[in-house]
Amino acid sequence: MPALGSFTLLATFLVASYALAASIAGGRRRSRALIESGVGAFYMTAALMAVASGIIIHAFVTDNYAIKYVQHYSDAAQPLAYKITSYWGGLDGSIMFWVLLLSVFGTIAVASNRERHRELIPWVVAIMAATEMFFIFIMVVHNNPFSTFVASAPAEGKGLNPLLQNFYMAIHPPSLYTGFVAMTIPYAFGMAALITGHLDDAWLRAVRRWTMIGWLFLTFGLTLGMLWAYEELGWGGFWGWDPVENAGLLPWFTATAFLHSVMVQERRGMLRVWNVTLVITTFFLTIFGTFMTRSGVVQSVHAFGEDRWLAGLFSGFMIVLLTFSFGYVIYRLPLLKSRHELDSWVSREAAFLANNWILLFSAFFILFATMFPTLSEAVRGQRLTVGPPFFNQWMRPIGLVLLILTGIAPLLAWKKSSAANLVYQFTWPVAMTMVTAAGVWALGIRVWSSGICFAFCAFVGTTILQEFIRGAAVRKGASGSDYFTALVGLVSRQQRRYGGYIVHVGIVLMFLGFAGQGYKSEQDMKLSPGEQGSVAGFTVRQDSISVTSDDQKQMITGHVTVFRNGKEIARMTPARWFFAKHESQPTTEVAIRRAPGEDVYIVLAAYDIGTQNATYAVTVNPLVNWIWLGFGILAIGTGIALLPERAFAFAASRVPEGAVTTTLVLLLLLLPGAAQGQTVIQKDALRKQIEGDLMCTCGGCLAPMNNCPMAGACHGLKEQREKVDRLIEQGMNREQIKAAFVREHGGVDVLTAPPDEGFNRLAWALPYVAGATGAALAGLVAYRWTRRPAEPDAPVAANADAPAEDALAARLDDELRDLD
Amino acid sequence: MKTKAIKIAVTCVVLAAALGGLMYTTLQGGTEYYIHVDEVMQNPSAWQDKRLQLHGFVADLRQRPNSLEYKFDVQYNGKVIPARYTGVVPDTFKNASEVVLKGKLQDGGFSVEPNGVMAKCPSKYNPQTAAGS
Repeated sequence: MPALGSFTLLATFLVASYALAASIAGGRRRSRALIESGVGAFYMTAALMAVASGIIIHAFVTDNYAIKYVQHYSDAAQPLAYKITSYWGGLDGSIMFWVLLLSVFGTIAVASNRERHRELIPWVVAIMAATEMFFIFIMVVHNNPFSTFVASAPAEGKGLNPLLQNFYMAIHPPSLYTGFVAMTIPYAFGMAALITGHLDDAWLRAVRRWTMIGWLFLTFGLTLGMLWAYEELGWGGFWGWDPVENAGLLPWFTATAFLHSVMVQERRGMLRVWNVTLVITTFFLTIFGTFMTRSGVVQSVHAFGEDRWLAGLFSGFMIVLLTFSFGYVIYRLPLLKSRHELDSWVSREAAFLANNWILLFSAFFILFATMFPTLSEAVRGQRLTVGPPFFNQWMRPIGLVLLILTGIAPLLAWKKSSAANLVYQFTWPVAMTMVTAAGVWALGIRVWSSGICFAFCAFVGTTILQEFIRGAAVRKGASGSDYFTALVGLVSRQQRRYGGYIVHVGIVLMFLGFAGQGYKSEQDMKLSPGEQGSVAGFTVRQDSISVTSDDQKQMITGHVTVFRNGKEIARMTPARWFFAKHESQPTTEVAIRRAPGEDVYIVLAAYDIGTQNATYAVTVNPLVNWIWLGFGILAIGTGIALLPERAFAFAASRVPEGAVTTTLVLLLLLLPGAAQGQTVIQKDALRKQIEGDLMCTCGGCLAPMNNCPMAGACHGLKEQREKVDRLIEQGMNREQIKAAFVREHGGVDVLTAPPDEGFNRLAWALPYVAGATGAALAGLVAYRWTRRPAEPDAPVAANADAPAEDALAARLDDELRDLD
Repeated sequence: MKTKAIKIAVTCVVLAAALGGLMYTTLQGGTEYYIHVDEVMQNPSAWQDKRLQLHGFVADLRQRPNSLEYKFDVQYNGKVIPARYTGVVPDTFKNASEVVLKGKLQDGGFSVEPNGVMAKCPSKYNPQTAAGS
């Protein structure tokens, strides 16, 4: 098997080089046959990479420890899901995963743009094939995931680190990779446009969508990273400006900049050099990020292995990439001339320009600060580092300026805003900002950055609301429909614009969460049983400490009760888990009580089982959940902007009346079916499980039922066992029995382990709830539209009898004509 | 056209100067020396009272009973600095573990600032760091 894998990689390399050669030759000679052949070869790399991935996954699933990579990152006891995700758990596999994604995305992009951008295709294929070749080359000569042990293979695997055996860690890296890899496609199209000289705006249309997809995945990956850090690492925060995190943030900034400046090019024919540059920079930063985290150039607390050879390879690739790309930009400068000049600084394009500069500055600032230790060592021979305070000092004002621009830009008109227009647009938002600022001051928040952030959030929120309300009002007047239909019509006519606004709402919510970090409170408290400590209005009482174990690990769990204003609000169970094989590195299991206002976040820092004393690090994190909710909204907004342009129209014209209702009913019918599909556990096994789940309530032993030290003589235990048997006889399942005990006992501390936090992860559910709401809304829309099939899509400008709305109407009309 | 070019150039210079100046002043306050124990011990007085990130391995870790006060030694290449810290430590902080400590070198040894203990994260990519390399 490993030999087959290595062979497949080699074959992919050959096929990719053929795709490169055939495409270049075909592109230069304009030979249809050669181009087609190159495209076919490129499709084949995707197939071959799928085979190679199949082989490595097979090796993981069948525990083939003859392969070094498999032995290193998995063991037999690992759940199946983590065996599969171990595929991208290490350096070699992650590179292979990268190539797989690129070949698949490339195939989709080529297949969908083949007819529309025929002249670009050979060069697009050539660029992507060359990138693939670089990564396959690394694998073949240096990091082959299929390399085997020369001598006899070990019988056991080392196992994936327990910290990484976690839901978020399983999906966070692939999400980031997806974002990274998707950025290759805009680059390939951009370079193809530069090479062929077809620099009209056609290539932009092909890449806009891919940039959006990449951007969405990057954002998703970054958010998951934050969630993981917040829930698993136990330091109470979510972003530590670690080089590895920064690597993911860099291309995010430039991609965001591109998504904005691309509009200026489409509308006004400006910023053409700038856009090409941004596409190249974004791609470069994805490669650079990979380089930074894999080669050991930057010292990080994540001990990435130092690897001079890999660093050299990557440096070479990056130098070639920059020379080649910017060489072509300079060569094509005459073709990239702007069609217009900036008319006024009080215009939307100027605001976009400012936003672009700031985003680009952020990217380079973070790059500089991340590389600072390396730079200073090279220049002064001493390794100077800058910490999170330095980053925060800079990024706080930068973030605030970006936030306010998010509000200002949509209020300005293209070309030039008149004074009357400014007054009309800014009155309400500025008023709301003042009110919020006063309110924040009155509430006693004295952290300047948080206060300003709240005020700015109000500003941006009001501008977006205003856009929706005014737009819908104009449309309602024109079409004579009701308000809701007008709103939907508005969004469906200009998905990109209104989708973008919804993305901005998500960003505003995220900023609320960031602002909350400005005034979080932390307190370490050492408590004996019954003793209380308090922080930020919350009181924590230590109850007990229990020791339990299951197949994989031993668990030390602290049981505390949290009060607010004298009322009990939660029982929480922070814990430490000692996994077998990794005893020296217990994992911190944070207990979080989530609420929209603030999270109570408790870490078991130290404990003494004998005296039942414990030390807790308690953090009160205000507004943190809005970050995760914000991402959910942002994803919906991006989804709307990404919808094919005729999606809404299609829904309106083709879906027969009643279809939506039927679908919904069907879905509802299916749901319980899925829920009932749970496995039935045998009674004896069930009893055993439950004895591990429940604490012995005899009062003295503080052990689970199956481990009671007084088992022989323990009276309470016998009764408890009988009760469990009775409940099993009644046909209850594990969860129901646990619930029954919790009810009777009056608290979750009867359980050996805290109830599975997975169900309590409010933050996680929120995006789904939001998504479901969105889907329901879409259904409602489709339904309503089917009732009004003859609704005319008349231009809105006809609205002459409302002079107050003139300016807006003209603007709307202008944009309706131009944008879609 | 010429005046425009001059205007742009002046704006750029002013902006660059302002940003550069700001960067310089903030860097003054924000930097820490990243250094290994043996490098400090070559000339300890030179490093006195500077903000350091001290890299080394933990040894002789003691905790005052019923408290969060820790005393320990940091060693690297045979050189040792005594250190003290009060607060919550990461899971991976124990004898022989590799750490980076933020703090200042004072008369009585190295005093670690609150939350200044960074134990090396177990990484996906290289779970076993070669100790002491």
